[in-house]
Amino acid sequence: MARVTLDNVTKRYDDVVAVDDMNVEIEDGEFICLVGPSGCGKSTTMETIAGLTKPTEGTITVGETDVTNLPPKDRGVSMVFQNIALFPHMDVYENVSFGLRLRKYDKDEIDRRVEQAAEIVQLEGMLDREPTELSGGQQQRVAIARAIVREPAVFLMDEPLANLDAKLRVHMRTELQRLHKQLDTTIIYVTHDQAEAMTMSDRIAVINAGELQQIAPPLTCYNEPANRFVAGFIGSPSMNFVEGELTETGLVTDHFDLEFDVDGLDLETGSEVTMGVRPEDIYPAATAESLSSSSAVIDATTDVLEPMGDEIFVYLSLEDSQTATMTTEEASSASNQLLMSVDPDSTIEEDERVSVVLDRSKIHLFETRSGDALVHGIEDVTTAARGEATDRRAHAEIDSGGRSE
Amino acid sequence: MATANEPPTQSSDDENKGPLERWTHGVLTDPAKRDRLYRALFYVACGFFLVTTLFPFYWLLVLALTPNTQILAGDWEVTVPLVGAEVPFPTPQGFNVYAFVEVFQQVPFHLYVFNSFVLASVTTVIVIALASLAGYVFGRLEFPGRGLMMLAVLAVSYFPPAAFLIPLFDAFLGNAIVVPFLGIELFAPPRLVNTPGSMIMPFSALFLPLAIFILTTFYGQIPDGLEDAARVEGTTRLGALFRVIMPLSAPGVATAAVLTFIAVYNEYFFSSIMALQNEPNQWSPLVGGILSYQTQYTTDFNLMAAASIVGVLPMLILVVVAQEKIVSGLTDGALKE
Repeated sequence: MARVTLDNVTKRYDDVVAVDDMNVEIEDGEFICLVGPSGCGKSTTMETIAGLTKPTEGTITVGETDVTNLPPKDRGVSMVFQNIALFPHMDVYENVSFGLRLRKYDKDEIDRRVEQAAEIVQLEGMLDREPTELSGGQQQRVAIARAIVREPAVFLMDEPLANLDAKLRVHMRTELQRLHKQLDTTIIYVTHDQAEAMTMSDRIAVINAGELQQIAPPLTCYNEPANRFVAGFIGSPSMNFVEGELTETGLVTDHFDLEFDVDGLDLETGSEVTMGVRPEDIYPAATAESLSSSSAVIDATTDVLEPMGDEIFVYLSLEDSQTATMTTEEASSASNQLLMSVDPDSTIEEDERVSVVLDRSKIHLFETRSGDALVHGIEDVTTAARGEATDRRAHAEIDSGGRSE
Repeated sequence: MATANEPPTQSSDDENKGPLERWTHGVLTDPAKRDRLYRALFYVACGFFLVTTLFPFYWLLVLALTPNTQILAGDWEVTVPLVGAEVPFPTPQGFNVYAFVEVFQQVPFHLYVFNSFVLASVTTVIVIALASLAGYVFGRLEFPGRGLMMLAVLAVSYFPPAAFLIPLFDAFLGNAIVVPFLGIELFAPPRLVNTPGSMIMPFSALFLPLAIFILTTFYGQIPDGLEDAARVEGTTRLGALFRVIMPLSAPGVATAAVLTFIAVYNEYFFSSIMALQNEPNQWSPLVGGILSYQTQYTTDFNLMAAASIVGVLPMLILVVVAQEKIVSGLTDGALKE
């Protein structure tokens, strides 16, 4: 168990900056996820902590020791690899005990520890098997046993579940969480899967292009993303973004306007601002009663429906002309499209005219140029008079919404 | 529906064809016939290779068992009756097994075998150790000039060994190294002729490039994850090389080792010169031993043949053992990537 501190860690390859001035403090016993798209530098960050690559600049501290120039074996870390990396020429027992044998432990001590580790990952009775005789999940558990048997100060996991099938992945996710509870060791976990990061970690470190974007508990990243990248990366399907321009009364976009008190923002009118709203914060106008503060009604045409069972994703086209079918990613970034999630019982059809409202308390505003978040939720900055107007319009739409049903 | 019409038309076609044409047509259309042809061709090719590789050994055996006087006299009964005809085929004239004993009585042949065996073993160990380090560097590390250095190493292996012979012999005699034209003595190397050092050093240098080339390819194929895992688990880079990368490259290591061993075991050119006389205590090799059955006036062909067979035996055993290693290495080394 130990704290891990990264101080101004930078890793440069010839002309590419893989990790750019990373500063992270990881608490003792914390489960932290490094998450980001492929090639964002999260694995390189992990490798610098493990000691497999040396940072170009900066220092890494594990516990009280500056380990920047120590070889991997002296850092008190252990690692689980994406490609599992069991030694094919050794059986399970030899694989698990490899690190202990190198450190010249007693035979009895090794046996005791291997057995204990095997018990934790439920591999009893398989110690004399060859790695090739095991299934993917079992191999991964051997790799985890190999990592825990040395009782390291820090556990590094580099996409350990990436090569497993979907069902096994969910199962192993739970097992890893249980393992963390049991061992109470600092775990640093690299993944590109934001769902894994959300479900498992105490804190998420979102990384993009080698730079740390935000490090915060999962729900903070979800509800108060620090910038547009985090907002778009965390959450599935992705947040809707609509680009617009700030006016004296609010935000003007190509297809709808939002009214709010712009005095609270530190921006001049005319600045470019991007509005972000998650699919679940868009409601059909008919069901908008429950909202404390809904936006003005937006008219749209439904495009494609994606019934998921527990909800339906509806692609809304804000233009009259039909747009070509888009993927989730494209839809979230195209400003004439909105993705809405509705109740599975909703009777909603394709190519239907609908009116929707946004939950004003869940609207995020980002500065378009820098991508930095301005505010999360705009209901507080609304004046009372405008609120009244919104209420009235909302009521009007409930009627029309009722008709369409 | 075509089947009803086909047999008569085919048979009428067949009647017009010759037997060879019928057979070719059958091979082209009938899979069973084709398989039979392929099998026959396989046996023919197999037999050809077996005969060409094994006949020299048989010929050695014939010579070893035939008394030398008869070899020198010539005029052999070289035909054997086979399926009613006289087929030319050499057979031993007599059964002189005593030749295999005489080999050791006339010359301390076992010492020559021992010399070659020691030279080959030591050279192999040195070559594998050095080539492993070089193979790791060339196969697994990225650094500027890697391709150029690899090319340089390979270029050395294309040099004719004779080009090194005179300077090396001069140096191994213990003569002082002198700067050309100026006559300044730099240092006097130890006198290495008649010692294993004078042979092992040039052998190692000559056979290193090939071993480096083989091991570079094999070490380069081991997934990075395995090496990283070993290093995180507690080995150094060198430890990872010897504990993980080398065992997983067993087929490559065995290939490089066997090639080196055989090449040195058969070597005569360098060692005949570095050993000043053809004496076993001057580290003269196996081939030198075989040649020592030839004196100024006599040549014991039967003893030379018997000695050749005796000299091949250790090699045969080694290759059979290594072969097993190679095959097991190939089947066990299935890597999960």
